[in-house]
Amino acid sequence: MNRRPVVRIAAALAFAFVAPAAFAHAQLEKATPAVGATVASASEIRLKFSEGVEPRFSGIALTAEGGAVVPLGQPSVDPADKSVLIVKVGKSLSPGVYTVTWHAVSVDTHHTQGDFQFTVKP
Amino acid sequence: MLFLTWRSVARAIFSVAAALWLSPAFAHAVCGDRIFPATLGIDDPGVGDELALPTLTSQPQGSDGTREFDATFSWTKTILPGLGLSFSDGGAWLRPGGYGWQALDTELKYNFMCLAQHEFMASAGFDVSWGRTGTAAQYSPFNTYSPILDVGKGFGDLPVSLNILRPLAITAEISEAIPGQSWTDGSQNPTTLNWGFTVQYSLPYYNSHIGQISSDFLRRLIPVTEFAFSTPIANVPSGSQITTGTIQPGVIYEGDTWQLAVEALIPINSASGRNVGAVAELHFFLDDIFPNSLGKPISKWGQP
Repeated sequence: MNRRPVVRIAAALAFAFVAPAAFAHAQLEKATPAVGATVASASEIRLKFSEGVEPRFSGIALTAEGGAVVPLGQPSVDPADKSVLIVKVGKSLSPGVYTVTWHAVSVDTHHTQGDFQFTVKP
Repeated sequence: MLFLTWRSVARAIFSVAAALWLSPAFAHAVCGDRIFPATLGIDDPGVGDELALPTLTSQPQGSDGTREFDATFSWTKTILPGLGLSFSDGGAWLRPGGYGWQALDTELKYNFMCLAQHEFMASAGFDVSWGRTGTAAQYSPFNTYSPILDVGKGFGDLPVSLNILRPLAITAEISEAIPGQSWTDGSQNPTTLNWGFTVQYSLPYYNSHIGQISSDFLRRLIPVTEFAFSTPIANVPSGSQITTGTIQPGVIYEGDTWQLAVEALIPINSASGRNVGAVAELHFFLDDIFPNSLGKPISKWGQP
Protein backbone atom coordinates (compact mmCIF):
# COMPACT_ATOMS: atom_id res chain seq x y z
CA MET A 1 0.00 0.00 0.00
CA ASN A 2 1.31 3.43 -0.89
CA ARG A 3 1.48 5.39 2.36
CA ARG A 4 2.15 8.83 0.94
CA PRO A 5 -1.52 9.77 0.38
CA VAL A 6 -2.34 8.58 3.88
CA VAL A 7 0.39 10.76 5.30
CA ARG A 8 -0.89 13.77 3.36
CA ILE A 9 -4.42 13.26 4.60
CA ALA A 10 -3.25 12.75 8.16
CA ALA A 11 -1.19 15.94 7.98
CA ALA A 12 -4.11 17.99 6.72
CA LEU A 13 -6.33 16.45 9.37
CA ALA A 14 -3.86 17.49 12.03
CA PHE A 15 -4.16 21.08 10.85
CA ALA A 16 -7.90 20.80 11.15
CA PHE A 17 -7.85 19.69 14.72
CA VAL A 18 -5.65 22.55 15.81
CA ALA A 19 -7.83 25.14 14.11
CA PRO A 20 -8.30 28.31 16.13
CA ALA A 21 -11.31 29.01 18.31
CA ALA A 22 -14.38 29.35 16.19
CA PHE A 23 -18.01 30.33 16.36
CA ALA A 24 -20.96 28.55 14.93
CA HIS A 25 -24.64 28.80 14.26
CA ALA A 26 -26.41 29.37 17.57
CA GLN A 27 -28.58 26.34 18.14
CA LEU A 28 -30.99 26.16 21.02
CA GLU A 29 -29.70 23.71 23.61
CA LYS A 30 -31.96 24.34 26.58
CA ALA A 31 -34.85 26.56 27.49
CA THR A 32 -36.65 27.70 30.62
CA PRO A 33 -39.51 26.90 30.60
CA ALA A 34 -38.25 23.73 28.91
CA VAL A 35 -39.28 22.88 25.38
CA GLY A 36 -42.60 21.05 25.56
CA ALA A 37 -42.77 21.31 29.35
CA THR A 38 -45.73 21.97 31.63
CA VAL A 39 -45.00 24.55 34.30
CA ALA A 40 -46.83 26.31 37.12
CA SER A 41 -45.79 29.75 35.93
CA ALA A 42 -43.15 31.57 33.95
CA SER A 43 -41.87 35.01 34.84
CA GLU A 44 -39.06 34.96 32.32
CA ILE A 45 -37.87 33.00 29.31
CA ARG A 46 -34.25 31.86 29.20
CA LEU A 47 -32.80 30.33 26.08
CA LYS A 48 -29.40 28.64 26.23
CA PHE A 49 -27.71 28.51 22.84
CA SER A 50 -24.69 26.60 21.65
CA GLU A 51 -22.91 29.89 20.96
CA GLY A 52 -22.87 33.45 22.19
CA VAL A 53 -25.62 35.62 20.74
CA GLU A 54 -26.04 39.30 19.99
CA PRO A 55 -29.07 40.56 21.97
CA ARG A 56 -29.51 43.60 19.67
CA PHE A 57 -30.15 41.31 16.72
CA SER A 58 -31.84 38.46 18.56
CA GLY A 59 -35.37 38.27 19.86
CA ILE A 60 -38.10 36.28 21.53
CA ALA A 61 -41.83 36.49 21.01
CA LEU A 62 -44.51 34.79 23.09
CA THR A 63 -48.02 34.08 21.93
CA ALA A 64 -50.93 32.48 23.71
CA GLU A 65 -53.45 30.09 22.23
CA GLY A 66 -55.38 31.92 19.58
CA GLY A 67 -52.37 34.03 18.69
CA ALA A 68 -52.64 36.77 21.31
CA VAL A 69 -49.23 38.36 21.80
CA VAL A 70 -47.90 38.36 25.35
CA PRO A 71 -45.89 41.51 26.19
CA LEU A 72 -42.23 40.88 26.94
CA GLY A 73 -39.34 43.01 28.11
CA GLN A 74 -36.20 43.78 26.16
CA PRO A 75 -34.03 40.74 25.48
CA SER A 76 -30.67 40.66 27.15
CA VAL A 77 -27.87 38.17 27.61
CA ASP A 78 -26.79 36.72 30.90
CA PRO A 79 -23.71 38.76 31.94
CA ALA A 80 -22.10 35.54 33.09
CA ASP A 81 -22.91 33.60 29.92
CA LYS A 82 -23.41 35.34 26.59
CA SER A 83 -25.00 32.25 25.13
CA VAL A 84 -28.07 32.72 27.35
CA LEU A 85 -30.75 35.04 26.02
CA ILE A 86 -33.22 36.26 28.65
CA VAL A 87 -36.49 38.11 28.42
CA LYS A 88 -38.91 39.02 31.19
CA VAL A 89 -42.57 38.11 30.80
CA GLY A 90 -44.61 41.25 31.21
CA LYS A 91 -47.62 39.73 32.92
CA SER A 92 -48.73 36.71 34.87
CA LEU A 93 -49.53 33.91 32.47
CA SER A 94 -52.92 32.33 32.68
CA PRO A 95 -53.23 28.56 32.18
CA GLY A 96 -52.87 27.44 28.59
CA VAL A 97 -50.46 26.59 25.81
CA TYR A 98 -47.88 29.22 24.80
CA THR A 99 -45.62 29.39 21.79
CA VAL A 100 -42.13 30.83 22.03
CA THR A 101 -40.72 32.05 18.72
CA TRP A 102 -37.08 33.04 18.70
CA HIS A 103 -34.43 34.23 16.34
CA ALA A 104 -30.79 34.52 17.19
CA VAL A 105 -27.76 36.05 15.60
CA SER A 106 -24.58 34.50 16.87
CA VAL A 107 -21.50 36.61 17.46
CA ASP A 108 -20.22 35.64 14.01
CA THR A 109 -23.51 37.00 12.51
CA HIS A 110 -24.97 33.62 11.53
CA HIS A 111 -28.74 33.59 11.83
CA THR A 112 -30.88 30.83 13.30
CA GLN A 113 -34.50 30.66 14.33
CA GLY A 114 -37.04 28.33 15.86
CA ASP A 115 -40.12 27.93 17.97
CA PHE A 116 -41.47 25.69 20.68
CA GLN A 117 -44.40 25.40 23.04
CA PHE A 118 -44.86 25.09 26.76
CA THR A 119 -47.95 24.79 28.89
CA VAL A 120 -48.95 26.68 32.03
CA LYS A 121 -51.03 24.32 34.11
CA PRO A 122 -54.22 25.44 35.84
CA MET B 1 1.25 16.10 -19.84
CA LEU B 2 -2.27 17.13 -19.10
CA PHE B 3 -2.46 14.26 -16.63
CA LEU B 4 0.47 15.63 -14.71
CA THR B 5 -0.95 19.13 -14.80
CA TRP B 6 -4.31 18.21 -13.32
CA ARG B 7 -2.80 16.06 -10.63
CA SER B 8 -0.47 18.86 -9.73
CA VAL B 9 -3.36 21.29 -9.51
CA ALA B 10 -5.38 18.95 -7.33
CA ARG B 11 -2.50 18.34 -4.97
CA ALA B 12 -1.57 22.00 -4.89
CA ILE B 13 -5.11 22.96 -3.93
CA PHE B 14 -5.16 20.30 -1.25
CA SER B 15 -1.82 21.35 0.17
CA VAL B 16 -2.65 25.04 0.12
CA ALA B 17 -5.98 24.34 1.76
CA ALA B 18 -4.28 22.53 4.58
CA ALA B 19 -1.52 25.06 4.89
CA LEU B 20 -3.93 27.96 5.06
CA TRP B 21 -5.98 26.06 7.64
CA LEU B 22 -8.79 25.66 5.20
CA SER B 23 -9.26 22.93 7.59
CA PRO B 24 -11.88 20.47 6.87
CA ALA B 25 -15.33 21.79 6.87
CA PHE B 26 -18.66 21.33 5.35
CA ALA B 27 -20.97 24.23 5.36
CA HIS B 28 -24.33 24.29 6.91
CA ALA B 29 -27.35 24.07 4.70
CA VAL B 30 -29.74 26.22 6.68
CA CYS B 31 -33.27 26.99 5.50
CA GLY B 32 -35.72 28.41 8.01
CA ASP B 33 -35.57 26.38 11.21
CA ARG B 34 -33.90 23.48 9.44
CA ILE B 35 -30.24 22.63 9.28
CA PHE B 36 -29.67 19.90 6.72
CA PRO B 37 -26.57 17.92 7.66
CA ALA B 38 -23.95 16.91 5.13
CA THR B 39 -24.72 13.40 3.95
CA LEU B 40 -22.47 10.77 2.42
CA GLY B 41 -24.38 8.91 -0.27
CA ILE B 42 -25.84 11.98 -1.90
CA ASP B 43 -25.09 15.66 -1.51
CA ASP B 44 -27.07 17.97 0.75
CA PRO B 45 -29.09 20.77 -0.85
CA GLY B 46 -27.00 23.63 0.52
CA VAL B 47 -23.94 25.51 -0.64
CA GLY B 48 -21.31 26.75 1.75
CA ASP B 49 -17.69 26.76 2.72
CA GLU B 50 -16.98 23.29 3.89
CA LEU B 51 -14.46 20.51 3.87
CA ALA B 52 -14.95 16.78 4.24
CA LEU B 53 -11.71 15.28 5.36
CA PRO B 54 -11.39 12.44 5.36
CA THR B 55 -14.07 10.30 3.84
CA LEU B 56 -13.07 6.71 4.45
CA THR B 57 -14.95 4.04 2.54
CA SER B 58 -14.68 0.30 2.66
CA GLN B 59 -16.75 -0.61 -0.37
CA PRO B 60 -18.85 -3.75 -0.37
CA GLN B 61 -16.94 -6.53 -2.03
CA GLY B 62 -17.50 -6.32 -5.78
CA SER B 63 -19.53 -8.93 -7.60
CA ASP B 64 -16.23 -10.06 -9.17
CA GLY B 65 -14.63 -10.39 -5.73
CA THR B 66 -12.71 -7.11 -5.87
CA ARG B 67 -12.15 -5.28 -2.58
CA GLU B 68 -11.82 -1.49 -2.54
CA PHE B 69 -10.90 1.05 0.11
CA ASP B 70 -11.11 4.79 -0.58
CA ALA B 71 -9.71 7.77 1.33
CA THR B 72 -10.96 11.01 -0.16
CA PHE B 73 -11.65 14.64 0.58
CA SER B 74 -13.95 17.34 -0.73
CA TRP B 75 -13.51 21.08 -0.31
CA THR B 76 -16.13 23.64 -1.26
CA LYS B 77 -15.38 27.34 -1.61
CA THR B 78 -18.15 29.85 -1.98
CA ILE B 79 -17.58 32.39 -4.72
CA LEU B 80 -20.80 34.34 -4.19
CA PRO B 81 -23.51 33.81 -1.57
CA GLY B 82 -25.20 30.59 -2.64
CA LEU B 83 -22.67 29.80 -5.37
CA GLY B 84 -19.83 27.44 -4.62
CA LEU B 85 -17.13 25.47 -6.35
CA SER B 86 -16.08 22.14 -4.91
CA PHE B 87 -13.01 20.01 -5.48
CA SER B 88 -13.00 16.33 -4.63
CA ASP B 89 -10.30 13.75 -4.98
CA GLY B 90 -8.50 11.02 -3.12
CA GLY B 91 -6.92 7.64 -3.27
CA ALA B 92 -8.34 4.20 -3.93
CA TRP B 93 -6.84 0.88 -3.00
CA LEU B 94 -8.08 -2.11 -4.98
CA ARG B 95 -7.34 -5.75 -4.33
CA PRO B 96 -6.49 -6.88 -6.89
CA GLY B 97 -5.58 -3.70 -8.74
CA GLY B 98 -3.37 -1.78 -6.35
CA TYR B 99 -3.40 1.88 -5.47
CA GLY B 100 -4.60 4.65 -7.76
CA TRP B 101 -5.37 8.33 -7.39
CA GLN B 102 -8.97 9.04 -8.31
CA ALA B 103 -10.04 11.48 -10.98
CA LEU B 104 -10.31 15.09 -9.89
CA ASP B 105 -13.93 16.03 -9.54
CA THR B 106 -15.22 19.60 -9.57
CA GLU B 107 -18.74 20.91 -9.14
CA LEU B 108 -20.16 24.37 -9.56
CA LYS B 109 -23.32 24.51 -7.48
CA TYR B 110 -25.93 27.21 -6.93
CA ASN B 111 -28.53 27.29 -4.18
CA PHE B 112 -31.44 28.88 -6.02
CA MET B 113 -34.29 28.33 -3.59
CA CYS B 114 -35.03 28.38 0.12
CA LEU B 115 -38.63 28.55 1.27
CA ALA B 116 -37.88 29.17 4.93
CA GLN B 117 -41.40 28.64 6.23
CA HIS B 118 -41.56 25.23 4.57
CA GLU B 119 -37.91 24.31 5.14
CA PHE B 120 -37.58 23.60 1.43
CA MET B 121 -34.25 24.06 -0.25
CA ALA B 122 -33.03 23.38 -3.79
CA SER B 123 -29.72 23.65 -5.58
CA ALA B 124 -28.50 22.96 -9.09
CA GLY B 125 -24.98 21.99 -9.99
CA PHE B 126 -22.74 20.96 -12.83
CA ASP B 127 -20.09 18.40 -12.05
CA VAL B 128 -17.09 17.43 -14.11
CA SER B 129 -15.01 14.37 -13.42
CA TRP B 130 -11.79 15.23 -15.19
CA GLY B 131 -10.31 12.61 -17.47
CA ARG B 132 -6.64 11.72 -17.30
CA THR B 133 -6.36 12.95 -13.71
CA GLY B 134 -6.61 9.50 -12.15
CA THR B 135 -3.93 6.88 -12.04
CA ALA B 136 -3.71 3.12 -12.40
CA ALA B 137 -7.12 1.48 -12.18
CA GLN B 138 -8.66 4.91 -11.53
CA TYR B 139 -7.47 6.27 -14.88
CA SER B 140 -10.09 7.42 -17.33
CA PRO B 141 -9.16 8.98 -20.66
CA PHE B 142 -12.26 11.17 -20.87
CA ASN B 143 -14.22 13.70 -18.84
CA THR B 144 -17.65 12.89 -17.45
CA TYR B 145 -20.21 15.69 -17.22
CA SER B 146 -23.09 15.63 -14.73
CA PRO B 147 -25.87 18.17 -14.33
CA ILE B 148 -27.21 17.74 -10.79
CA LEU B 149 -30.31 18.73 -8.87
CA ASP B 150 -30.43 18.57 -5.06
CA VAL B 151 -33.50 19.23 -2.95
CA GLY B 152 -34.34 19.05 0.74
CA LYS B 153 -37.57 19.30 2.69
CA GLY B 154 -37.97 19.49 6.43
CA PHE B 155 -41.30 18.70 8.00
CA GLY B 156 -41.24 21.40 10.63
CA ASP B 157 -44.28 22.96 9.01
CA LEU B 158 -46.50 20.06 10.01
CA PRO B 159 -49.22 20.91 12.54
CA VAL B 160 -48.39 20.65 16.22
CA SER B 161 -50.69 17.62 16.45
CA LEU B 162 -48.02 15.81 14.39
CA ASN B 163 -45.18 17.10 16.53
CA ILE B 164 -43.35 13.78 16.56
CA LEU B 165 -42.93 13.96 12.77
CA ARG B 166 -41.64 17.53 12.62
CA PRO B 167 -37.96 16.58 13.10
CA LEU B 168 -38.17 14.47 9.93
CA ALA B 169 -36.54 15.66 6.74
CA ILE B 170 -35.89 14.19 3.35
CA THR B 171 -33.33 15.16 0.78
CA ALA B 172 -32.95 13.91 -2.76
CA GLU B 173 -30.51 14.13 -5.62
CA ILE B 174 -30.69 13.29 -9.29
CA SER B 175 -27.96 13.63 -11.86
CA GLU B 176 -27.12 12.36 -15.30
CA ALA B 177 -23.50 11.32 -15.79
CA ILE B 178 -22.62 11.82 -19.45
CA PRO B 179 -19.26 10.45 -20.59
CA GLY B 180 -17.31 12.71 -22.91
CA GLN B 181 -16.44 9.71 -25.05
CA SER B 182 -18.92 7.08 -26.20
CA TRP B 183 -16.43 4.30 -26.75
CA THR B 184 -13.06 3.47 -25.27
CA ASP B 185 -10.95 0.63 -26.61
CA GLY B 186 -14.00 -0.97 -28.17
CA SER B 187 -16.14 -0.75 -25.03
CA GLN B 188 -19.24 1.38 -24.60
CA ASN B 189 -19.25 4.12 -21.96
CA PRO B 190 -22.84 4.29 -20.76
CA THR B 191 -24.68 7.39 -19.67
CA THR B 192 -26.03 6.78 -16.20
CA LEU B 193 -28.74 8.29 -14.08
CA ASN B 194 -27.50 8.69 -10.53
CA TRP B 195 -30.28 9.19 -8.07
CA GLY B 196 -31.01 8.82 -4.43
CA PHE B 197 -32.62 10.18 -1.34
CA THR B 198 -32.20 10.34 2.42
CA VAL B 199 -34.60 10.09 5.32
CA GLN B 200 -33.32 11.76 8.46
CA TYR B 201 -34.70 12.41 11.92
CA SER B 202 -33.05 15.35 13.62
CA LEU B 203 -32.75 15.07 17.39
CA PRO B 204 -31.28 18.61 17.48
CA TYR B 205 -34.54 19.72 15.89
CA TYR B 206 -36.53 17.65 18.36
CA ASN B 207 -34.62 19.18 21.25
CA SER B 208 -35.26 22.75 20.17
CA HIS B 209 -38.83 22.39 18.91
CA ILE B 210 -40.61 19.43 20.47
CA GLY B 211 -39.15 18.41 23.79
CA GLN B 212 -35.94 18.94 25.65
CA ILE B 213 -33.43 16.08 25.52
CA SER B 214 -31.35 15.97 28.65
CA SER B 215 -28.39 14.08 27.19
CA ASP B 216 -25.84 16.38 25.54
CA PHE B 217 -24.81 13.48 23.33
CA LEU B 218 -28.23 12.38 22.18
CA ARG B 219 -29.45 15.83 21.30
CA ARG B 220 -26.70 16.12 18.70
CA LEU B 221 -27.54 12.92 16.81
CA ILE B 222 -29.31 12.61 13.50
CA PRO B 223 -30.23 9.04 12.58
CA VAL B 224 -30.28 8.81 8.80
CA THR B 225 -30.77 6.29 6.06
CA GLU B 226 -29.52 7.06 2.59
CA PHE B 227 -30.49 5.36 -0.65
CA ALA B 228 -28.04 5.87 -3.52
CA PHE B 229 -28.59 4.29 -6.93
CA SER B 230 -27.14 4.31 -10.42
CA THR B 231 -29.08 3.30 -13.52
CA PRO B 232 -27.53 3.04 -17.00
CA ILE B 233 -29.85 4.81 -19.42
CA ALA B 234 -28.03 5.19 -22.74
CA ASN B 235 -25.22 3.57 -24.69
CA VAL B 236 -25.52 0.62 -22.37
CA PRO B 237 -23.61 -2.57 -23.17
CA SER B 238 -25.82 -5.59 -23.58
CA GLY B 239 -26.52 -7.25 -20.26
CA SER B 240 -25.60 -4.21 -18.19
CA GLN B 241 -28.99 -2.55 -17.94
CA ILE B 242 -29.29 -3.02 -14.23
CA THR B 243 -29.66 -0.53 -11.42
CA THR B 244 -26.99 -0.77 -8.77
CA GLY B 245 -26.74 0.99 -5.47
CA THR B 246 -26.60 0.86 -1.74
CA ILE B 247 -28.86 1.44 1.22
CA GLN B 248 -26.94 3.27 3.91
CA PRO B 249 -28.32 3.33 7.45
CA GLY B 250 -26.24 5.34 9.86
CA VAL B 251 -26.00 8.25 12.20
CA ILE B 252 -24.60 11.76 12.15
CA TYR B 253 -23.20 13.52 15.19
CA GLU B 254 -23.42 17.30 14.94
CA GLY B 255 -20.71 19.29 16.65
CA ASP B 256 -20.72 23.06 16.66
CA THR B 257 -18.22 23.46 13.84
CA TRP B 258 -17.98 19.90 12.58
CA GLN B 259 -19.88 16.69 12.19
CA LEU B 260 -19.06 13.00 12.08
CA ALA B 261 -21.11 10.55 10.08
CA VAL B 262 -20.91 6.77 9.97
CA GLU B 263 -23.00 4.60 7.68
CA ALA B 264 -23.19 0.99 6.56
CA LEU B 265 -23.18 0.25 2.83
CA ILE B 266 -25.67 -2.46 2.00
CA PRO B 267 -25.71 -3.50 -1.67
CA ILE B 268 -29.19 -3.69 -3.14
CA ASN B 269 -28.38 -6.62 -5.42
CA SER B 270 -25.54 -8.92 -6.42
CA ALA B 271 -24.45 -6.53 -9.17
CA SER B 272 -23.91 -3.89 -6.46
CA GLY B 273 -21.59 -6.09 -4.45
CA ARG B 274 -21.43 -8.70 -1.78
CA ASN B 275 -21.34 -8.28 1.96
CA VAL B 276 -21.71 -4.98 3.76
CA GLY B 277 -19.31 -2.07 3.47
CA ALA B 278 -18.95 1.02 5.61
CA VAL B 279 -18.23 4.70 5.21
CA ALA B 280 -17.24 7.35 7.72
CA GLU B 281 -16.77 11.03 7.13
CA LEU B 282 -15.55 13.95 9.17
CA HIS B 283 -16.89 17.33 8.12
CA PHE B 284 -15.78 20.76 9.13
CA PHE B 285 -17.92 23.84 8.70
CA LEU B 286 -15.53 26.46 7.38
CA ASP B 287 -18.15 29.19 7.55
CA ASP B 288 -18.13 28.69 11.31
CA ILE B 289 -14.43 28.05 11.77
CA PHE B 290 -13.29 31.00 9.67
CA PRO B 291 -16.38 33.25 9.45
CA ASN B 292 -14.46 36.38 8.61
CA SER B 293 -11.89 35.02 6.21
CA LEU B 294 -11.74 31.71 4.44
CA GLY B 295 -15.25 30.70 5.42
CA LYS B 296 -17.09 33.48 3.64
CA PRO B 297 -17.81 34.05 -0.05
CA ILE B 298 -15.10 35.68 -2.12
CA SER B 299 -17.64 38.36 -3.08
CA LYS B 300 -20.86 39.32 -1.32
CA TRP B 301 -22.41 40.42 -4.59
CA GLY B 302 -26.04 39.39 -4.69
CA GLN B 303 -26.36 38.95 -0.94
CA PRO B 304 -29.81 39.98 0.23
